[in-house]
Amino acid sequence: MRRSRPAVLVARRLLAVPVVLLALSTAVFLAMRLLPGSPATALSAGGGQTLTAAELSANQARVSQALGLDQPILTQYLRFLGDLVRLDLGSSFYGSNSVLGLLAGALPATIELTLLAMAIAVLLGVVSGVVAALRKGTWIDASARTVATVSFSLPWFALGVLGVVVFGVWLRWLPVIGRLPNALDYHPTTNFVLLDAILQDRPELVLPWLRYLILPATTLALSMAGFITRIVRASVLEVLGDDFVRTARMKGLAEGAVVRRHVLRNSWLPIVTVLGLQFGSLLGGSVITETVFSYPGVGSLLVKGVLQRDYPVVQGAALAIALLFTLVNVAVDLFYLVLDPRLRKG
Amino acid sequence: MTDPVLEVRGLRVEFDLPGGRLPAVAGVDLTLRRGEILALVGESGSGKSALSMSLVGLNRGPRTHISGEVSFGGRNLVEAPESELRLVRGKDITVVFQDALAALNPLHRAGAQVAEMIRTHRDVSRAAAWDRSVALLGEVGIASPRENAKAYPHQLSGGMRQRVMIAMGLANDPAVLIADEPTTALDVTIQAQVLGVLERLRADHGTSIILITHDLGVVAEVADRVAVMYAGAIVEQGTREEVLFAPQHPYTMGLLASVPPVDGPIAARLPAIPGSPLTGIDRPAGCAFAPRCAFAHDACAERPALTRRFGGPGHLDACVLDEPARAAARPEGSRS
Ligand SMILES: Nc1ncnc2c1ncn2[C@@H]1O[C@H](COP(=O)(O)OP(=O)(O)OP(=O)(O)O)[C@@H](O)[C@H]1O
Ligand SMILES: [Mg+2]
Repeated sequence: MRRSRPAVLVARRLLAVPVVLLALSTAVFLAMRLLPGSPATALSAGGGQTLTAAELSANQARVSQALGLDQPILTQYLRFLGDLVRLDLGSSFYGSNSVLGLLAGALPATIELTLLAMAIAVLLGVVSGVVAALRKGTWIDASARTVATVSFSLPWFALGVLGVVVFGVWLRWLPVIGRLPNALDYHPTTNFVLLDAILQDRPELVLPWLRYLILPATTLALSMAGFITRIVRASVLEVLGDDFVRTARMKGLAEGAVVRRHVLRNSWLPIVTVLGLQFGSLLGGSVITETVFSYPGVGSLLVKGVLQRDYPVVQGAALAIALLFTLVNVAVDLFYLVLDPRLRKG
Repeated sequence: MTDPVLEVRGLRVEFDLPGGRLPAVAGVDLTLRRGEILALVGESGSGKSALSMSLVGLNRGPRTHISGEVSFGGRNLVEAPESELRLVRGKDITVVFQDALAALNPLHRAGAQVAEMIRTHRDVSRAAAWDRSVALLGEVGIASPRENAKAYPHQLSGGMRQRVMIAMGLANDPAVLIADEPTTALDVTIQAQVLGVLERLRADHGTSIILITHDLGVVAEVADRVAVMYAGAIVEQGTREEVLFAPQHPYTMGLLASVPPVDGPIAARLPAIPGSPLTGIDRPAGCAFAPRCAFAHDACAERPALTRRFGGPGHLDACVLDEPARAAARPEGSRS
């Protein structure tokens, strides 16, 4: 009885996923076609040769026809949907790579980036938030809050460029372009480097991977860490005032145990909610960060696709990002159910 | 029944507030004897909780000033460092809090919360602590304790939650149990059962109990002695019979007069003492009750000490009225 409820909840969430994805892909489909400029213009400008106006428009017509862009929008849309149902995301207008293939390379890169960023943000944010709350009103609290506010208001782009300049150009400590050194002999199995390092038994992959990942991940993490610090501090302070904390002290528990067993666990609830919501902005930030660091993730793919009016790539990348976001939120719901027995009753 | 377990002398608890210091407990002397149930009664805000929390330093903090003496086991707990007080809390002196739903951790199972109390003070295995906590839950009258031990607080009824708190309170066989309005939120039947648990505890384990309540019906039912608190001070203290049937202080008389007849109309439940209790920062120099007292006169401008006046040997009060005036003030039915 008690067990079936969460399953129902999560199932309902999962059922909503296709609806969300359909709405989103329709929006992207329309947005791309409403943007000025078409792939035909870009593609039919012959490399280097000067073409007459007549040749150019003949080229454009041929390209449009080849790509199916001369069809009415509704026809294009229905075909797009038909393909989508069969999980066929089409192929890039440039070089005819399949979009699924491009995503298979880019999505793991983005997942690695956002997960590491999330981990760094949670670590920094939770530690500083808890310390600030426990030392409320002292200089430690004041400085933690100041740092949090500053880092929260730093734009990703500025932070990314700063990271590139300081660590890449001045100090030359870290590589700032790409995901792995070109010289590295890496044949992806899953495209998750850490996983492949284990599967292929190649521990030497891990260090270069981390060296490339750490700077963009930290860039992405800092503003979120600032945000988490503030949420955690507020949450811990609130829980510290709860009656059951006094009960824990009444038991004779040492303050450390009171905080660990009673305060922190109860503080996690609002924090997890916020993390789920913030993951969306983290994905947004990853688009910018990936571009600054030329990191070959879905964000880079999306930006390049938009610039080149590469409709299938943009649609695929947007879908992938949306899917990631929805799945993380389902995971948050599940986590919530694990954390809080009160929700299990439904 | 005579040797004192806990002795409180000149206890003051003051809270820093934006406008100044609030004397929530303004100099209290109190003795708790072995195996007795001492009821602490008074209106809301009179300082009952502040007093009981301060006995084991649970309201210590940067904005709280606790002074005076709480002697327990040859030590003054007011002065004891946290590290020492921790060994007393939950083991020798435990507290059953007012609002059990809020006082229990919503994320821990009932049994685990009791077990944690045990394991904090005894070196026993998890399994042993769990078994003992199941036994305790059974002892306080929780049905199918094995199943209910696994329940989370929100899955239990109010009465069961209160019993979980009590089970926790007696887990380590404490010398002193402070029960802060353990029955306020409960209906009459459950209330009687919970009081029964406390009485049994006193009988079986010789536990001394401080029972905080504003329900004089509860006092009449289980208390051995009664201390009446007003504005942070004890204004009357004596045996149950003395205080309930021969009240000496006009405030106690007012409290008794405001007790509704069991089946009386709702109007009878309205407080019979006009005015509102003193809860602000500013306190008059004299008797704190004088502003509300129908019998106040010039002599009340000086604060009367809590001492024996016209009652039995252990019957103390803090009122300057002479005996005829008291007799005249006593409500119908409580005249001895
Ligand atoms: N931590 C605190 N900080 C500031 N003021 C407090 C604090 N705790 C209690 N007080 C104040 O001290 C006074 C006594 O409060 P206390 O909780 O002891 O009353 P009480 O007699 O237990 O009342 P009730 O019957 O409503 O529980 C009240 O005026 C209350 O507002
Ligand atoms: Mg109280």
